[in-house]
Formats: sequence, structure tokens, C-alpha cells
Amino acid sequence: MSKYLDLSIKEIHELLVKKEITPLDLVEEALKRIEDNKDLNAFITINDKVREEAKDLGEVDPDNIFFGIPIAVKDNIVTKDLRTTCASHILDNFIPIYDATVVKKLKEAKMLIIGKANMDEFAMGSTSETSYFGAPLNPHDKKCVSGGSSGGSAVSVAGGLVPLALGSDTGGSIRQPASYTGIVGMKPTYGRVSRYGLVAFASSLDQIGPMTRTVYENAALLNILVGEDEMDLTSVKKEKEDFTRFIGEDIKGMKIALPKYFISDIVDEEISNKVKEVISFLQENGAVVDVVDMRYLDTAVNLYQIIAMAEASSNLARFDGIRYGFRASDVDDVDSMYTKTRGEGFGDEVKRRIMVGSYILSGENAKVYYDKALMVRDDITKEFNRIFKNYDLIIGPTTTRVAPMLGITKDDPHKAFMDDVLVIPVNMAGLPGLSVPVGINSEGMPIGLHIIGKSFDEATIYRLASFIEEVL
Amino acid sequence: MSEFTPTIGIEVHVEVKSKSKLFSNSANTYGMATNTAVNVIDLGYPGTLPTINKEVIRQGVRACKVLNCDITRKMHFDRKNYFYPDNPKNYQITQNRTPIGRNGYVEIEVDGIKKKIEIEEMHIEEDTCKSAHRGSVSLLDFNRAGVPLIEIVTKPCISNSKEAMAYLTKLKELLFYANISDCKMEEGSMRCDSNVSISKDDTFGTKTEIKNISSIHNVGLAIDYEIKRQEEMLNNGEIIKEETRRFDDKQGKTILMRVKETGNDYRYFIEPDIPYLELTDEFINDSLSTLPLLPDELREKYSRVGLSSLQIEKLINNRSLNDYFLGLLSYKTNYVTAVNLLLSDISSYLNRHNKVITDTHLSYEKLVSVIEALETRDLSNKNVKDLIDSLMETDKTLDELKKEFNIENITDDNFIKDIITKVIDNNPDSVNDYKSGHDRALKYLMGQVMKETKGAVNPKMASDMLCDALNK
Amino acid sequence: MDKLSREEVLHVAHLARISLTEEEIEKFRGELKVLMDDIDKIKNVKDVDDEIMYTPIDFNARLRDDVVGAMLSAKDATLNAPAKNGSFIEVPVMINE
Repeated sequence: MSKYLDLSIKEIHELLVKKEITPLDLVEEALKRIEDNKDLNAFITINDKVREEAKDLGEVDPDNIFFGIPIAVKDNIVTKDLRTTCASHILDNFIPIYDATVVKKLKEAKMLIIGKANMDEFAMGSTSETSYFGAPLNPHDKKCVSGGSSGGSAVSVAGGLVPLALGSDTGGSIRQPASYTGIVGMKPTYGRVSRYGLVAFASSLDQIGPMTRTVYENAALLNILVGEDEMDLTSVKKEKEDFTRFIGEDIKGMKIALPKYFISDIVDEEISNKVKEVISFLQENGAVVDVVDMRYLDTAVNLYQIIAMAEASSNLARFDGIRYGFRASDVDDVDSMYTKTRGEGFGDEVKRRIMVGSYILSGENAKVYYDKALMVRDDITKEFNRIFKNYDLIIGPTTTRVAPMLGITKDDPHKAFMDDVLVIPVNMAGLPGLSVPVGINSEGMPIGLHIIGKSFDEATIYRLASFIEEVL
Repeated sequence: MSEFTPTIGIEVHVEVKSKSKLFSNSANTYGMATNTAVNVIDLGYPGTLPTINKEVIRQGVRACKVLNCDITRKMHFDRKNYFYPDNPKNYQITQNRTPIGRNGYVEIEVDGIKKKIEIEEMHIEEDTCKSAHRGSVSLLDFNRAGVPLIEIVTKPCISNSKEAMAYLTKLKELLFYANISDCKMEEGSMRCDSNVSISKDDTFGTKTEIKNISSIHNVGLAIDYEIKRQEEMLNNGEIIKEETRRFDDKQGKTILMRVKETGNDYRYFIEPDIPYLELTDEFINDSLSTLPLLPDELREKYSRVGLSSLQIEKLINNRSLNDYFLGLLSYKTNYVTAVNLLLSDISSYLNRHNKVITDTHLSYEKLVSVIEALETRDLSNKNVKDLIDSLMETDKTLDELKKEFNIENITDDNFIKDIITKVIDNNPDSVNDYKSGHDRALKYLMGQVMKETKGAVNPKMASDMLCDALNK
Repeated sequence: MDKLSREEVLHVAHLARISLTEEEIEKFRGELKVLMDDIDKIKNVKDVDDEIMYTPIDFNARLRDDVVGAMLSAKDATLNAPAKNGSFIEVPVMINE
């Protein structure tokens, strides 16, 4: 079997341009790898039209480096005529009748959607174990979780099934599984990528982003995802820029902040040591790294629980068995249609979150919990802005530990959130954040470095990430 | 024992005139085939997001002006969460905390006494879908889902059914004339809920809500019935419960729909999919610049050109005739005659043919020439009746039509003279009456002349000749 | 371990329109209590100013021109509906009266 998919995107592109290979070759290879690694459970649905789509491209000359490249799309991003389940029983027969804006962009670049990647149900979870279709497995150790919620996307890239994937990140769901599986994952600035067609979990936090093998490929894929979208009022109009433009530059004079909280005792020692190693390396190469105090970081999980659960309780109200999706049988009145459909259709994690979310918004609670959380959210954002007055980037570990064993956080409603303690603050402030692999621990499990940038300054994040990737 | 004082508050929903819906660009229409004026946003499909129709915000600004409300300069939208099959997302996007208008009023007059009905607030929201009930099932048509609504809420300052009806009549007239809504209660583009309570002192009694009353007349009946019902209950020592009722116009009664749950728990929170909306002076001025003359302005204008209050009210009650007449005011003519024509022959033509005046060929020039001919008695009222169909349906001038209808032929002197001689000979008594100074006799004789000529004689000419003959 | 009462669980289940089996009610009595204790910690956050942030987007919402766009056929509009009736989507009768 050929190993074209192990080449870089640039190399694959050259072969396509020279017509030495066709998009169909790439698709066949990807499908073979998916089949051979079925146990990884990376995909919920394979696009059964992808061979035809690849054949149709055979006649066209490649016009961009992603032409004809297979990609995995997280299953909470809607794809016209291709089943989109959000890893939930309530949508397990749902065939969208429109494409998400990012999917349109992939299709415009003539990329080939190989299938829909496994995930936590409605992106609620941090291990992808809440999937109705079972958890994806970590290719580094199949007894370990892939992380979540974009676990299937991470596994599809880390396992070499496809070179690229799209994930979504509400409270770390791109960066944390990227860290657990040793790949590059970027959550762009809120508003950078259109959310139109991303099935909403927490509208004010969700953002779609690229998950890739390398920093360059990540930045290049972000290039085609971004842009103001008239269908999404929260998408932002920005000058067109090339996110790869600083890749390869050195880091002399770069000012980097390391919040104390990120190396406190909540972080596993091996990881802390790894991060400290990276920091001395950065300092040796001319970057200034200061340990700083940042307030409110320790409130982020609390804010996330309140804001995400509240918004989710409203966003998921639409799954009622009327216009689409599953409807429970034997319902003879409106109320039982709702309660049985949702009772049978949702898994436990989703049920817990939307019940607590409804409670948070109920009556006077809205003031006590929700309004207060929005106030603290504003404060944490101001705190980030304060740091960014003096620093170009903020860094820390992506996770407090490496990928844990399957099953250990399942049904622990509290722990599920603590896996994301270091990545969640970024979503609160709407900032861009990336996880880049910086090595492995003693058991061979990947460790990721988390790089946080100023609003809309993804390019500087890629600069540092590529430097680390290059030299480490 | 009837010393209770009623307190009434009214909530009105009007559908706002616009081409497209509030949060999506599907058509805002009435009467299209089931589920064809919809897109994925109206159906609340997973992944969809709202956009805001500029025209609806403009209409909101106009409504603020017309109802004397303070305009909220910076606003956001809120989600009102409740499960109901007609509510596609199971939340409605509305304005809870920042309604576009506040503190307005509508001035009414009841039995010669003027009163300001105070408006608490006015907000923009989306309509639900339409449901029809067939035995054990309900059928949903989403064409109405997402149609823009303005809800107008009065303070509890209405004292009786007469005031309520006067308020609704005035409100309807204002919104209709401002082109904000069709205000057709029978088609549901204006819907009215009344809150009624009674009390013996200045505290408020427990209120009941009467939903969706189908006409202004029925609002009056429903309020009167409800006041009486509550009085009887209290006099019998019964306790009034907070409940929702409907008015059955066949029985002339309000009927219990449901007892309210303790405190409606709509779990409001700010809609995160829509950034704030701040209205500039320019936007407001621009919106108001297209506001047409309102009824009270018209009343003043019309009384200045000499119309009677009866004519004015009749004209204002007929929007298309009113608009036509407004255009006529830039021509110099006898407006009283014009209105008489519009309200008599022209109206009956329009009714007969089920047309509006803009569908006809009656140009202002033609109407002015008809008025002039009536003044100079070149034309009789009978002539107008004969000519009306041709005046309305052809582009021929009045002169051309007179020729065609042989109206000019009867200005033949000798023919008229013969008729006059005959009438004088046949009516000696009347001739004597005239000669002894009874003017009425002249009218009678003139009538006889018109009768002999079947009205087809130049009335001025005939009248002059009759006088000459009598005075000989 | 502290638990919610049965009624408290049923109340939030009703708000979220979720039917629960007896086992689930029992299970959630504990699990929901953990989450409710978590969110309760927000009360302890000090030094908070009144300004709120409900979205990271800090600019005036764009307004769409009032132009009608593409719409679905009745077939597509009802395509995914579990129960339909001609061009309508069908639900159990909505109790109004």
C-alpha cells in the first residue's frame, strides 16, 4: 500500500500537480487506513460519495495546496446530504439539507470530506466517551482516551488516517484532544471562523478550528476557513492575511507571559518540568519569558459550567422530535413527545448539563449565577487584556495531565470539567489558543504546550509554535 | 354592591410589514402554500443562526415615533425559553430587557373626554408557526414562523371597555397609516390580549388574561363580560385565580383555557448570537423620513380645505381613497365636490367591481375636469352616473366621453325650448307658485324638464332657459 | 454524600423536558448535586465589576437588507420530520382548551 498520506501537504500537492497521483489515490488510501484502524473508532459516518467526488476532481487541475486532500469533519458541523449526528441518538438519522459555511469553504477549495469524526455527544465532555457511538481510542495507547470533545478529529489525524481535520472548541475541545494525541490544534479568535452550520453547544464560546500534523498545515488550513459570513452576525470582518507568514522566523525579542496558575500544583510534575524545559529553551533563543500573576483564572471552570450549561440548555431545546431527528414512539400528547424523545434521545452527560443549565436560568437563579458569571467573564477578559499590554503571548501546558485511561472520568460530572481547566479561560475571553506537541512523558504519552495570543493575532501564535516544532 | 373599579391592560401584537422575515430572508407573506415560505433558519435547523432585517428595525423606530415612545438607542435581543410545538427553536428571540420603545401613549376620546392611554413598552420579536388541530393530531405550517412582530404593552390604565375599544381603534389606525402593519385582526396580523382585574380600593385585584380576541368589538364584549364575571365571583365570596381565558363570541362568554403556572419561568437570557444594536441619529432620521401623514395630521389638513368631519372620518376609514385624495390636494379644484364624488359614485363603482382606486384609469386631471363640469353644470349628476364606468375604465377625456354618450347633443336650443314649453303648459299650478315667489316650484319644474329629457340635458343651460321662459 | 431531593430532580427534569426512569432519578440526585455545588462557587468570587460580557463580539450588529432569498420546497422543509401529513409536519394534538 502506498503511503502518500504520510507526506506533507506540500509534497502531496506537488505529486497531484505533476499528475503522478490523483485525488482518488488519496481517498482510497484514507479509506483503507480507516478500515484498517476501525478499532480507533475515529469516524461516525463515512462519506459514501467520496470516491465519486474524488473521481470528478481527477479532471481538474489543482488550484490550491488543499486541492484533493481528504479531511475529517467533526460530526457537529452540518454537511448537506451527509448524516450529521452530533454523536447523539437524537440525531442519528439526521440528514442536513444545507452545508455549514466552513464546509462550503472546504468544497470551494476542492477538499474531500472523507467522513464525520466521532466526538462527545453534542461536544459535551472531555474524553469523547459520551459519544452515542462509543469512544474513539488514543493511537498512542488504545487503553487511553483521545480527549474531547473533538476526539475523533484528533484521532483521525494522530492515527494517520487523514492529514487534516476540523474540530470545534467551546472549552478546550480542540486543544485538549490535540495535546492528548500529539497533534497541532488551534482554536481561533471568537468571530474568526463562521459558526453557521456548527450545531451550537454554547454560542458565545464555540469556535471551529483546524487540527493537523504540523503548524504550517494548521496555519494554511486556517487561511481557507476564516472570513466574515453574512449568515453569522458574530463573524468578524478582517483584512485578508496569510497565517503562515511568520512561520520560520526566529523568536528574538518576543515577550511571553507564563501565569503562575499554569505551573501550579494542579499540573502533573512531568508536564510542569516539560514546560519549564521549553521555557529555558525559548529564553536561550532570545525570548523574554516572565512568570506573571493573573487573577480570575481559577474561576474559569466555574464560569464555563454556568455559561456553557445555560446556553446549552437553550440551544438543545430545539431537539424535540418535531422537525428533524428522533421522536420516541408511543407518544400521544405533546408533553410526552418532548420528555420521552429527549429522555431517550440524549445521553447522561447532555441530560445533566441541560437540566443544570435550565436550573441556572430559572427565575432568580439567572441573576445569582448567570449574570454574575457574565460579570466575572468580563473581568477575566480585562485581565487578559492587561497582560497583553506588555506581552505578545501567554503560554502554559495545555493539560494538567496526559491522556487518562478510558473509563476513569466517565460518570464523574465534576472531573469532566477539570480536564479543561487550563484551556477554558481562553474561550471566556474569546482569544485564540493553540496546542503544539512538545514531547512525551515517561509512558510515551504526548504533552502539549498551550500558546494564547491577542485577539486576532493567530499569526504570532504560529510563529512561536513553528519555532518550537522546528527545533524541539 | 357594584362599587368595584376595573383595571385593564392590553397587549397587542402586530405583524410588521416587510418583504422578508425578522431573522431570516425567507418571505414575509400571507397565504402561500403550506411550508413553502420557509428556510432552514425558520425551521430552527441545527447550526442555523439569526440575521437582522434592517427594515424591521426601521419599522420599530417608526412605531416608536407614532406611539410617542422613547427610542432605546442601544439594545440587544433576548431568548424567551418555552417548549411548544409552534415555537421552532423552543425559544423565541424577543426583547425582554431592552425593548426598542418605552413610555409612550396613544390619545383617545371617549364621550368627548380625552385620555392618554400610556404605553409601558414596545418590543420586536419573531412570530411562531401556525397550527391546525385535527382530532388527535395538530398540523404545523412554518410559513409564519419568524414573521416580524411588534408587541405593544399598555400600563394597567384602561378603565372600561369603551376606552379599550377606543384605544385599539386608534392604535390600529395609527399603525395602519404609518405603513407599519396591515392590522387585519381577521387574518391575525393584529392580535389582542386583555388583562382584566377589579378592586374596591387602589390595590390591584388578581388579573385574568383573555387571549386572542378576534375583533375590537369582541374585546369590548369580553371585557364587559369578564368584569361582570369577576364582580359576581367576589360578591359570592369566591377567589379569583390568575388564569388565561378565551372569548367565545357565539356564547358571548370568556372561557377558561388554563390556570397559570406559578410565575412563568421563561428563563430569559441575552441572545448570544446577536451582538448589540446601537441606533445612530442618521438611522433614526432616515427611518422617520418615510413616515406618511398620520390620521390626526390628516384630520387637521382636511378640515382646513373645508371637509366636514363626517367626510373626513369616512375618508380616513378608506385608506386607498384617502391616499388618492391626498394626491388631489396638489390640484386646484373643489375638494368638497371631489370627496362627495369619491364617497358616492366612485366608491360604489369600486365596490361593485371589487377594485381599489389605483386600479382604475381615473387620473387626477380627469377627476378635476369632471368636478369643473359639475360646477359649471356642463354635466349633471345623472351624467356622472352614466359615464362612471367609462371614466374609470378608459383613458378617454371627459370631452371625448361626452361626445360618445351624446351628452352634447341635448344642448340643442330648440329641443330644450320645446320641452320647457311642454312642462310649463302641463304644470300651471307650479308656474303660479313660482311667480308668487316659491323657489321650490322652480326646483320641481326643473325636475320635470330633467325627467322629460331623461336627464340627458345640460343642466345649467336648461335651468337658465327655464328661468327665462318663466320670467317672460 | 449530599443529594438533591427527588422533587428537585423532577423539577429541573421538567424544565428541560426530560423523562427520567426511577434509576435515573436516583442517580441524578447525587450527580446534579455535585454540579450545583460547583456552580454555587460563583457566589464566592470577589472584586467583580458590574459590566457584563455576553459575547466576545463588541461591535454593532450588521443589519440585512430587506430582500427575499431562496426558500425550501415543502418536500425539503418536511424531509427530516419524523411525522408528516401532506405538506404539514404532524405532532400530537396541542392541548389548548
